[in-house]
Amino acid sequence: MPDVARKILWPALGAGAMLAALSTAPARADEPSAELLARGKYVATAGDCIACHTRPGGQPFAGGLSITTPMGDIISTNITPDPDHGIGKYTLQDFEKSVRHGVRRDGSRLYPAMPYVSYSGMTDDDVTALYTWFMHDVKPVAETPPATSLNFPANLRITMAIWNLVAGESEPETGDAATFDKLRRGKYLAHALEHCGTCHTPRNVMLSEKTDSYLAGASLLGWYAPDITSSKTTGIGDWSEDDLVAYLRTGHVDGLSQAAGPMGEVIEHSSSHLTDEDLHALAAYILQVPAKEDDGEHPARARAGQALDTPDIRSGELTRIDNLNPMDGKGVYDANCASCHGDNGAGTGDHYVPSLFHNAVVGSGHPDNLIMTVLEGVNRTANGVHAYMPGFDGKSDVQRLSNAEIAAVVNYVTATFGNGDHGVTAEQVGAQRVQTPKTP
Amino acid sequence: MAADRSCSSTRIHLATPNSMRMAQALRMSRRDMLLGAMGLATVAVGANPGLAATVDEDTVAPLFLALSKRLTDRETLNPQISQALYAGIIHAVPERRDQIGKLHALMESGNFSSARALATAAEHADPVFKDVIHEIMTGWYRGVADQKVVVYRSALMFDITSDAIYPKTYAAGGPFYWTKTPPEVAVPTGEPALSPSKFVVEPT
Amino acid sequence: MPSEQDLSADVVIVGSGVAGSSIANELVRAGISVIVLEAGPRVDRQHFVENFRNLENKPSYQGPFPSVPWALHPPNQITPNDYLHTTGPDAEAYQQVYLRMMGGTTWHWAGCAWRYLPSDFELKTRYGQGRDWALKYDDLEPFYYQAEVMMGVCGPDPAREDLGSPRRQPYPMEALPISYAAQQFRKLISEKTPYRVVHEPQARNTRPYDNRPTCEGHNNCMPICPIGAMYNGSYSVYHAEAAGARFVPNAVVYKIERDSANKRVTAVHYYDPDKGSHRVTGKYFVIAAHCIETAKLLLVSADEQSPDGIANSSGHVGRNMMDHTGVQVTFISGDKALWPGRGPLETNVIDNFRDGSWRNERGAYLVHMVDDNQVDLATALAISKGYVGRELEEQIRYLASHTVRLFSHNEGLADPENRLTLSSTHKDMLGIPHPEVYYKLPEYTVKSCEHTRGLFRELIGLMHGTDEQWTPGYFPQDHPAGSTIMGTDPKDSVVDGFCRTHDHENLFIASSSVFSSVGTGNITLTVAALALRVADTLKKELSHA
Repeated sequence: MPDVARKILWPALGAGAMLAALSTAPARADEPSAELLARGKYVATAGDCIACHTRPGGQPFAGGLSITTPMGDIISTNITPDPDHGIGKYTLQDFEKSVRHGVRRDGSRLYPAMPYVSYSGMTDDDVTALYTWFMHDVKPVAETPPATSLNFPANLRITMAIWNLVAGESEPETGDAATFDKLRRGKYLAHALEHCGTCHTPRNVMLSEKTDSYLAGASLLGWYAPDITSSKTTGIGDWSEDDLVAYLRTGHVDGLSQAAGPMGEVIEHSSSHLTDEDLHALAAYILQVPAKEDDGEHPARARAGQALDTPDIRSGELTRIDNLNPMDGKGVYDANCASCHGDNGAGTGDHYVPSLFHNAVVGSGHPDNLIMTVLEGVNRTANGVHAYMPGFDGKSDVQRLSNAEIAAVVNYVTATFGNGDHGVTAEQVGAQRVQTPKTP
Repeated sequence: MAADRSCSSTRIHLATPNSMRMAQALRMSRRDMLLGAMGLATVAVGANPGLAATVDEDTVAPLFLALSKRLTDRETLNPQISQALYAGIIHAVPERRDQIGKLHALMESGNFSSARALATAAEHADPVFKDVIHEIMTGWYRGVADQKVVVYRSALMFDITSDAIYPKTYAAGGPFYWTKTPPEVAVPTGEPALSPSKFVVEPT
Repeated sequence: MPSEQDLSADVVIVGSGVAGSSIANELVRAGISVIVLEAGPRVDRQHFVENFRNLENKPSYQGPFPSVPWALHPPNQITPNDYLHTTGPDAEAYQQVYLRMMGGTTWHWAGCAWRYLPSDFELKTRYGQGRDWALKYDDLEPFYYQAEVMMGVCGPDPAREDLGSPRRQPYPMEALPISYAAQQFRKLISEKTPYRVVHEPQARNTRPYDNRPTCEGHNNCMPICPIGAMYNGSYSVYHAEAAGARFVPNAVVYKIERDSANKRVTAVHYYDPDKGSHRVTGKYFVIAAHCIETAKLLLVSADEQSPDGIANSSGHVGRNMMDHTGVQVTFISGDKALWPGRGPLETNVIDNFRDGSWRNERGAYLVHMVDDNQVDLATALAISKGYVGRELEEQIRYLASHTVRLFSHNEGLADPENRLTLSSTHKDMLGIPHPEVYYKLPEYTVKSCEHTRGLFRELIGLMHGTDEQWTPGYFPQDHPAGSTIMGTDPKDSVVDGFCRTHDHENLFIASSSVFSSVGTGNITLTVAALALRVADTLKKELSHA
């Protein structure tokens, strides 16, 4: 049945002469309907294209973001409808091939940083809507980002073709994705659009997602995309659907978790813009993903810790202004963290600043995200709230902390408010410090 | 005198970076170095293990805690803070140890149902107790003993105002909490226990 | 230690406070090489936060910053003082404090970012008093805005609250929501008096701005914002460094070398803390070392060519010392609980007396309602009254919630007799004399303060105040100005309208020391705007060179 439907829909692409015309003409021949454009925009948002295809401070979709991968840095391309620098010359078929199959108009293979393995599950209607919106509503930008230069053998795009064979693709969903029932819609959103597995599913040696460990947690760019399976101990099986919806909409659930780094961007650019119905569908689907235990997560990461209640007995001694001596973990915490997170770790009364106990990032057995948060801070706008914490890395204007100080404060925080001291070393912080995304 | 104290705090450190490097080469700690530069023979109580050990064993220390509970009208007070305050108070004025013992004896000799009753009786019995009580109040409420901060955010003055205001640098209300209406406060009716003293505002 | 050949740049800047660091940042981003020489050390925030918490005398905003011996700054506002010696009938009123270290005194300002009024630049023309500046408000307006963007200034919508300084752009950030105490004060003033209370423009984040967080109301702008929500000069140092400027801490400049014609500066010399001497050459030089230290440096550098000091053919270096010397009162309100100290320190101002025809005989002023946490002071006061136990706790709550503090900035006036000289008795470890200032409050300012006292008495009455405590005499506001005064005539001024010294064509001064009058608003934004204008001038000259 799906095959039949596919053949029927492709390449004529469903209903209407207008769409058929679009499939062959790269230009904006006719005015597409407002609904089609709105749907395309929504698909682009749910697919979070902007996250990779825009560099910090750059024009939307003009590319130029450097994406660090184990193979080297991949620089995202310009996907604005500029004919020379972007995808202006792409037909719908060209577009479909690159989005769903990772093949560019010139026939070369895309690097798998582009989640076409996920997007391959997109319905024809949604691909068409996406294409129409890009061609019609995205502002063309006449600039070409620097080319990606990877190390051998990944610099050969043919390698990508082989990789692609290993990675495989999923069959596109069929029919009108807007009419799917809740779980099917949720699955569609999770797989084909939001591509959750791109980050949260561990990869095999060929860098393909391990299909038997879907959403079981994986490292990326110094961050750790945690186990979000339904495991009650190491995943998010003890979250309610409403918790997860709130998280995806705002990036913050009191007493559970908050998003920073790449997940903060996903929420800012993508999930916070989903409809209530889609958020519930996505949450319901995620929450029934089979449990897979993450050995690094014991006990449950969001339930650890409690408020600290100790007096601040002090030396009463002052140090001279040129004192730049490193502080110990407790000292770093008191001087840099306690003003907002509280001496007791409870955060602010209005939850603008989260508590550090009952906090999945602090309670996690993987201290990666806590380290990255201290280094880079939090900068996430969702649902009308701009959550902001300054970073404490070497660019900070607020306070620059050494690797040793960050290791000490992370160990102090996890020991005091989380699941124990993980023995983070200055070297580990140093390794993560260089993981920050770069702009060429 | 306040002026003298403030001046000494800026004279603290006369070392230059080079002399510090020299000191490090000679394996002096920075702290020894700075104290050496200050020409100070005394060391902060909390940082002196010798004295801390004696406070732990000091038989008057528990009496200080018991006395403090009566003078604050509180059933519980933090014993660690108590130790630290006691150490600071007797470091500043060694005779206080004896006076605290005597004030405790006075408390035990009568049936004082309030801080006020004890304080009134104490000043009547010996004017020096007024100073002792001032120091105990300053210790617990302002967190200061021996003219040094013993506790900051844990001082009782912040405990009793925590429904309205935060200690500076520890605000926990989130951005713009300050626009909300704080609690009303009734005009106090209680009487002072001790004779008034001159109030001196330290110059900035 | 930098090697000598490294010590040369297009522009050499002395001082890394808001003025020096913002010039450095502007120039280096225009491709001009820059060296910034800072007398004090490189510093960081975390140790200051802990110093504050360990400080017994919390209101002492100089307290958390114990100076280094090779770059002393005043330890406090007490007279006599270990560093800044003041003399004269109003010696105590000129006991200024400031910080000598990376980022300068903006580590402990309250972020008040006033533009001056157009009339402030034309005091002589309009009111026959003091002096005119050698520039007009309109000349500075674009730079005021540039400074506001650089610092991140929040302020009211001019359509709703016109502060009297015309703007071409809105404030970079929306005005700060005001505290309950300030709301009540505002309401009282608007209902019961002919005056008004306005939002104070502040270099404080009301949203995340420039990689720094939103203000969370720690109420500790002075002495140290614990989270970096308020601007300080260290950010501009960091930004300049990131763009390639060379920042040299612990470099105490003590000598300014000129060519044989005494027309151009050729180098400055500095001591490191061990008194090793270094020579730094450049095409242009900017002294941005704070009003007091700038004049001190020009005088210390006196030599055979210039026996009265550098840039001092007029004899006005060190003269015309001004401030916003004011009055202060604290009292207990008889009305509802206010709980001052929730939110930033200084957010609301009565601005009715910033300008008026009466300025022909008495100085202008503005009044701050200080939103300062009073718990510690209330506790000390209640203990001194003899309270203990439960009654003490009642008193603390009452006093902390009902204490009101008002202070004023009163307009000083340039008087050559108010003069900074070099101490003949005190020298620092490098052998550089301490500064000494003779100060007599001008009659113009005395009259202004008298008027302010009348206003304060009126307000105390309105609030059913008791227990008033007037700070004795006059209150220094740490806004020193005038020591290298600006003017059109080289005979009675030190710099021209572009802050270039009349005597040396490649020597500029970026400091409140160039102010010809002080107006009433805090001086920092005007210092920054003048500095950015200096940067603009240098960019133009260096691109033509």
